[in-house]
Amino acid sequence: MILEKIKKHKMLLLVIATYGALFIFAPEKALASINNSAYYLLEMLQVLPIIFLITILIDAWVPKELITKKLGAKSGLAGNLFSILLGSLSAGPIYAAFPLSKLLLKKGASVTNIVIILSSWAVIKVPMLLNEVKFLGVNFMIVRWILTVIAIIIMGYLISIIVKKEDILSIESVSAYQPLVKINKQHCIGCGICARVYPEYFEMNDDKAIVKSSKVTIDNKETIKASIDDCPTDAITIDQKSPMKPM
Amino acid sequence: MDVFVLSFWGITIILFVISLIKDKKKTFVSMKKSKKMMGHMVIEIISIIFLIGLILTLIPPESIENLLGSANVFLSTIVAAIVGSITLIPAFVAFPLVGSFVDVGASIVPAVAFLTTLTMVGIVTFPLEKQEFGLKFAVTRNVLSFSFAIVIALTMGVIL
Repeated sequence: MILEKIKKHKMLLLVIATYGALFIFAPEKALASINNSAYYLLEMLQVLPIIFLITILIDAWVPKELITKKLGAKSGLAGNLFSILLGSLSAGPIYAAFPLSKLLLKKGASVTNIVIILSSWAVIKVPMLLNEVKFLGVNFMIVRWILTVIAIIIMGYLISIIVKKEDILSIESVSAYQPLVKINKQHCIGCGICARVYPEYFEMNDDKAIVKSSKVTIDNKETIKASIDDCPTDAITIDQKSPMKPM
Repeated sequence: MDVFVLSFWGITIILFVISLIKDKKKTFVSMKKSKKMMGHMVIEIISIIFLIGLILTLIPPESIENLLGSANVFLSTIVAAIVGSITLIPAFVAFPLVGSFVDVGASIVPAVAFLTTLTMVGIVTFPLEKQEFGLKFAVTRNVLSFSFAIVIALTMGVIL
């Protein structure tokens, strides 16, 4: 239990330990570091509450169909441009983009567009562009902007080839929950029966079924068994390594 | 707080109030979900912020000047890109710094590489990215961003 906690916050502990050592051996350096951090803490306090509110609003009011249509795998170039716009209109550092992008991904956005949102969030920001013009000139800014946009779009497509959506969405089930029910991607023909009959447990994603793992617990063991019987290609299986344990 | 951030505050707060009026229960359910998602991020972000403070003390922004001015453009581009990946300097410090250097006549290639990796590649935020999107995504995105930053820098050297 304690070990788990240490592992979970190893970064925090490491930073605290470094500061502790620095305070003993070079207190002026430690103070300087805290001073440097102040700017970023302020930035975080300015931005994270907004991100928190925006994720609430999107979760509550923006239907999945809309996000899938505008940012999903079939949204094409228009979806890419919309992603650039979304990212550019953002505020705050790249880590502020993580929770929002994750939510959009869950609600149907494609990996390509998520990469585009994350990257343009980081690089293309209106106040930053103005700053760039001021110190490096209009030509410099425009050329860098054009090249960056091209690079970001290419990168979006490259990453979507290498990393699949399930790779990202399965992270949660690995870390937070026992993976109880699995879907064999080779067997799944994308008929959608499971998602229609048991919408609480399964959903369709790029023509394949995926498990909403957070909902699968010991309480609905019977329903899960029934869903296994209903699958025409026996693609749904209970993971033998982790029997239906309560969470 | 700049106008940009300020207007974001205004808009989201108004929308949030509307959301509360329209459907209190729905808003609260989403709030709970959001809180769970953001909750475990916050500690991580705070650790990252203090880590950035440490890195800035060890590698002060001024030291980057020496780096950008090295005679070997290719080598200094690679090193500039690496330093840009590690540090997180606010844009309002980075642009004047790089600008003053380009004005003196230094090559823009390392400068562009530095500016691009500064924002697009995040070694410090890597643990957080890994936690949210998985190792494969985080590695692929950062490696590709690094490579593209160098491509962008070299292309700009040719164009400008």
